[in-house]
Amino acid sequence: MIGATLNTVTQLYCTTHPAMGTEYSLYLYAPSREQAAAIAKPVFEEVDCVDALLSNYRPDSELSRINREAFHHEVTTDPEVFRFLATCLAWSERSQGAFDISVGKLMKVWKFFGASGALPSPEEIAAAREHVGWKKIRLDPEQRTVRFLTAEIELDPGGIGKGYAVDRSVKALRAKGVSAALLSAGSSTIYAMGSPPGEAGWKVRVPSPHPGGGTISTVVLRDTSLSTANLSEKNFVHEGQFYGAIMNPGTLQPVRGMLQVTVISNSATDSDALSNALFVSGPEDQAALLGEQDCALVIREQIRESETQAAPKYEAIRWPSEVAQRHLTELPTTKEKVKL
Amino acid sequence: MNRRRLLQGLSFSMLAAKLSGTSSLYGQAAEPQPQPARTFSPNDRIQVGFIGPGSRGQELIRQLLRTPGVEIAAQCDVYEPRFAEVNELVGKNVPAHKDYRELLDRKDLDVIYIATPPVFHASYSIAAMKGGRPVYCEKTIGFTPEDCTNVVEAARKTGQIFQVGHQMRYASWIVESVNRVRKGDIGEPTHVYGYWHRSDNWRREVPNPSLEHLMNWRLYRESSGGLLEELGSHHIDIANWVFGEQPQTLLGTSSIAVYHDGRTVGDNVQAVLGYSKGRRMFFSSLTDNGLMADQVWVYGTEGSLQITLADATFYKRTSKMITEASHSDVVQKGVETGASYNADSAMPYRGPGHRVNMKRDEDPTLTACKSFMECVRNKQQPFANVDVGFRSAIACSVGRQAMYEGREAKIPQLTA
Ligand SMILES: NC(=O)c1ccc[n+]([C@@H]2O[C@H](COP(=O)([O-])OP(=O)(O)OC[C@H]3O[C@@H](n4cnc5c(N)ncnc54)[C@H](O)[C@@H]3O)[C@@H](O)[C@H]2O)c1
Repeated sequence: MIGATLNTVTQLYCTTHPAMGTEYSLYLYAPSREQAAAIAKPVFEEVDCVDALLSNYRPDSELSRINREAFHHEVTTDPEVFRFLATCLAWSERSQGAFDISVGKLMKVWKFFGASGALPSPEEIAAAREHVGWKKIRLDPEQRTVRFLTAEIELDPGGIGKGYAVDRSVKALRAKGVSAALLSAGSSTIYAMGSPPGEAGWKVRVPSPHPGGGTISTVVLRDTSLSTANLSEKNFVHEGQFYGAIMNPGTLQPVRGMLQVTVISNSATDSDALSNALFVSGPEDQAALLGEQDCALVIREQIRESETQAAPKYEAIRWPSEVAQRHLTELPTTKEKVKL
Repeated sequence: MNRRRLLQGLSFSMLAAKLSGTSSLYGQAAEPQPQPARTFSPNDRIQVGFIGPGSRGQELIRQLLRTPGVEIAAQCDVYEPRFAEVNELVGKNVPAHKDYRELLDRKDLDVIYIATPPVFHASYSIAAMKGGRPVYCEKTIGFTPEDCTNVVEAARKTGQIFQVGHQMRYASWIVESVNRVRKGDIGEPTHVYGYWHRSDNWRREVPNPSLEHLMNWRLYRESSGGLLEELGSHHIDIANWVFGEQPQTLLGTSSIAVYHDGRTVGDNVQAVLGYSKGRRMFFSSLTDNGLMADQVWVYGTEGSLQITLADATFYKRTSKMITEASHSDVVQKGVETGASYNADSAMPYRGPGHRVNMKRDEDPTLTACKSFMECVRNKQQPFANVDVGFRSAIACSVGRQAMYEGREAKIPQLTA
């Protein structure tokens, strides 16, 4: 048992592990570097295991196998991957298609797969329509099989996979008797377990969506997760228009007008999926998507018509902390962003 | 004299004769008649009994869950916490047994998977085959030379399907490359160099010290052949496949260079295996390495092949250039002296690599499991059959002992 409650002298350690195209960080208290490493090892093995299941960059992952074969025949998969796919489809249904892991082809058409994006031709975009859509994925729970109804469907776990890996890792941490730890999947999905000694929880800062724009809100988390979706990772600018790597499966275009969504939810899988679903769906659908306990901070772009008008706009749903309006109003408009 | 004693007293040449089936040692003991293997119709689900679902075992179970028409029907492990892990993986309660004999006594099992530590492989496989079940057994098929022989003997006698966990034989890019080598793509292959340089201490964390030997069986001589057996066996198998035969000799050494932590097997090993016509295989394994852990190089008279866990690349010699020289330039003007270094000439014989195109990219262990089930349904012997298992296991088993004693091992040959 290693935890903040014991009288042993413990020190905060951070261990990192590269996986899923990002770096996972695990903060925990341990009496020594060796013990911290010993706790971290099986936790990161969980991350690697999820990567081996779900990576769409690794040809030998189970997801890649499904992508290759599920149009040609029913693919029998293991219960874990089956449950994962069922969860993804449930999120698609709940979000009326805003969340959709079948956007793999679209990500490739927009050159966001392994690159930072480029404008496709209208023909390329139109041709992708046939290859996108969660309703074209059939799951048969009896046989535990997956089938695609049209060719070239490609599942992309980008909007949920890290959350899933975090949940699995947290389970491993709990099994090891760890009582206080913070696990971060490249900062986009974070799980706060217990709290540091003498603290109410782990502090997580939500930055302004504008790089260098400071912190807009600080929340204190305990036994819950937080995920942020924004466009800072992969993006490009074409003729003054900013395009980021979150797709609207309905328009087949990258989402426009949205800057950042941060969600707090008990499960990391849910906060990850939800942050992406909210990012895509319109303002009227957003509140309905949240579960009773979930909180969200949604930051939307607003075209400035006059200098006095506040921009961008934010909406806080049950958000547990203050939001620093000042940092938001100082944000540049879309046009200015080109210069970034 | 019981059968075990009898076998212990045999010389290796006698063993070889025995394996060839000409020996009169057969057929004396009154053994139960092997039961005929079940015949499957296409819709029948194959019921798997799984012995030893530890780390590798659970990986195999995962792949079996991806294999159509297969059911994990029973599990056996001496360490009870495994049962819950398996149930979680399979998504239902799988009947559990603590003794492998109980599992084998069940009437509802069609095939047996074995992924216990290697000391149990032979006796469990033999019992399963004698009970009329096809067996998929992890490498190495036996721990002692006698084990290896007994497994082959049982497989031949029962006619049972037996597959060894040499899943690299099912990796699309390795199959493709070895086939090309065997067709002469790099001339005559003369050397296979295998490196498996890990970067960890090879230790499992143990929840309580009484479980040390159960969980860290790899680290102790009485239960493990060390790195040669655990990792080298895969590469030896590739060399056997490339050369089309098994090794005849093994000269090796092993020591503890880093981990003086009570283990009795080496934390590094170097071994040279001799094949016919002077061909050699070299295997090296150590515990610290910052780059790619696992690679096999095949060197031939006309090129080389690099195989990794993810891909394979052929390198051909660049052809030697011969041009006509001008008498006036060379002889009359004379040749010029100057600096000799030319970056392009640093590797004069290595042309650009050509990566092998993979036809399929699925996990080789899944391919191996699917292929095994196909063999079971069609009553065929697998590609990684018992002979393949013998040829790597015997080298590790005999070689390990010779290494401890500091001598060259003569490796008993398997005869048809
Ligand atoms: N083909 C491959 O690439 C590959 C990879 C890893 C391991 N392996 C092989 O798989 C085997 C297992 O290795 P591992 O790493 O999974 O070891 P492990 O210790 O994790 O698992 C072995 C399991 O067998 C159980 N066990 C031990 N004795 C038993 C007995 N008498 N009856 C029933 N169960 C028993 C243990 O409790 C454990 O659960 C070894 O032979 C190893 O060489 C093969």
